[in-house]
Amino acid sequence: MLKRLLVILAVVASGAFAASIGDVSSIKTLKVERGLTEVAKGCIECHAKETPGHVNDWKDSRHGHVGVSCIDCHSVKKDNPMAGQNCPGVKGTDTYVSMLVSPKTCGRCHPNEVHEFQQSGHARAALQIRAKASMESLMHHYEGRGNPDLQDSPEATGCMQCHGSIIEVGKDGRPTAETWPNYGIGNVYPDGGVGNCKSCHSAHKFSIAEARKPAACASCHLGPDHPDIEIYNNSMHGHIFNAEGSTWNYDSAPDAWEPGDYRAPTCATCHMSGIGDLTTTHNISRRLKWNIWAPISKTREGGYETAVKDFENGKITKGNALAGHPDGSEAARSEMEQVCKSCHVTLHTKSFFKMADKHVELYNTYAVDAKKMIDELGKKGLMKKDKWADEAFKVWYHIWHHQGRRMRQGALMGGPDYAHWHGVFELQQNIRELEAIYNRRMKTGKIEE
Amino acid sequence: MSCNTEKKVKKSIWFIICMLVIGGTLGLLTSFGIAVVVEKTSDDKFCTMCHTMQPMADAYSADVHGGNNPMGIKVNCVECHLPHDGLANYLFAKAQTGLHDFRVENFGDLDSINWEEKRKHAKHFVYDSGCMHCHVKLRDVTMSNPKAFIAHKEYFEKRTNKTCVECHNNVGHHNLGDYIKK
Repeated sequence: MLKRLLVILAVVASGAFAASIGDVSSIKTLKVERGLTEVAKGCIECHAKETPGHVNDWKDSRHGHVGVSCIDCHSVKKDNPMAGQNCPGVKGTDTYVSMLVSPKTCGRCHPNEVHEFQQSGHARAALQIRAKASMESLMHHYEGRGNPDLQDSPEATGCMQCHGSIIEVGKDGRPTAETWPNYGIGNVYPDGGVGNCKSCHSAHKFSIAEARKPAACASCHLGPDHPDIEIYNNSMHGHIFNAEGSTWNYDSAPDAWEPGDYRAPTCATCHMSGIGDLTTTHNISRRLKWNIWAPISKTREGGYETAVKDFENGKITKGNALAGHPDGSEAARSEMEQVCKSCHVTLHTKSFFKMADKHVELYNTYAVDAKKMIDELGKKGLMKKDKWADEAFKVWYHIWHHQGRRMRQGALMGGPDYAHWHGVFELQQNIRELEAIYNRRMKTGKIEE
Repeated sequence: MSCNTEKKVKKSIWFIICMLVIGGTLGLLTSFGIAVVVEKTSDDKFCTMCHTMQPMADAYSADVHGGNNPMGIKVNCVECHLPHDGLANYLFAKAQTGLHDFRVENFGDLDSINWEEKRKHAKHFVYDSGCMHCHVKLRDVTMSNPKAFIAHKEYFEKRTNKTCVECHNNVGHHNLGDYIKK
């Protein structure tokens, strides 16, 4: 009898447990009293019913622990360009809210993180698109076919989801569909804030552990032109992470996340963390010696990123492609070598970078030769007006933008398949292809049909 | 010593005493006058003598700092808009900004001023030393409030260059944007 009762109890209990997880809407009422104002409590209680996903994330977050709630980040002053009272809970009160939360708000408690971020290349992600006529014409004219009704979709569904947008709001203070929603890292908010913390620390949990995992970077750093997650998976670091990363500790305090918590680095370990003697940084450009996305690779001697400063002075610019360590590329490399030091002997590190640097320099020889041919053809009027219809231009574009980046990034992050087969092997094919087109056009003085 | 010389010495002592008394009195009167002028040119009544300042004064009157609080306490314009890190600095900035505003108000192109744009640079004309002149114990009182403690930690530890108004960007003037638009 007792046995049967226990079995029934166990079945009921496991059923109840199963029903309570996986169904976020099961929490219909949530009463939180601790350290919150009446308005703050109102938001939580109502949104636990209306958008339980938001409140579930929040109650699991550090913000929830210290009493930072919806209203602390979403309330804005009435004269803020993003202010609205579209939520029935605040309509007619003194409280104005915005669904947009700008880094200016995050910076109130995390000023250094926002400051460092704005010194990094991430900060120019959206602004630079606006400053580059070639990008504008690619998105709207070529991809969007200049269609007055449809030309904004390539940017909205593609580019801005990683790069971010200059968010525009309607009369009611709500963002337009052409500029939001997106998870782009360089968002420009109507209050002048630049950046997007949520790209890596997704709302409304804003987890440090999440941002330390490769997944946080992988949603944008992938694909034919910068397959960084693929390169990572190809590397020994990724190999170890994929084998046992699920058992590691990602939750140590900032600057205290060290080997032992993990057995191999993730993206954040090398590019941001306070490993060993280093201190944490949100400037992901700081430890980079090279620019390995531009047509020709140069060392990063440009100091800090300038796009945000320019924007604050009323100018939208391409920013600083050579942004890096304030003391130059050698200081950047030396910081990166310090990262390696926790797990590798100096000879290992030095030899690795010696050959990786050579691969970048080898790439440059391809790029210089290819660019010379393209420039010469252009001068002789042997390039088509519509460059995206020109075979020579297309080959050149793939040389630097696709395989050339794979070659350089594969080399510097230990992804052999990308350094070689998807990289330099493709390049030696491309340069031959381009030479053939070049020779043909120079000989005949005509562009082939 | 002859009688004459003695008289001369006495005379010059009296002369010095008289000069000190007159000088002291004049000095005191002048200081008093300056103090009065400094005091009288510190509030919204004086500042709105320049008509361009009216929207700022209206927004200020609607704000906690402008007297819209249960006790009716008011903070004068200069408490925030002049530095409070020394009398010399204070007086120098007062003279400099006063002359500047006088010149622009009377001889400048007032319509070309973009006030909304100027708000973005508020940190250049709102002084932390002013804020901290009144909020003396801010560090201590925010210790027990986790939210305020975290928000102010980097500031008090001097690990950020941000100034008060960079976070509290509407302080002092309630819904200033609405008044500027009018």
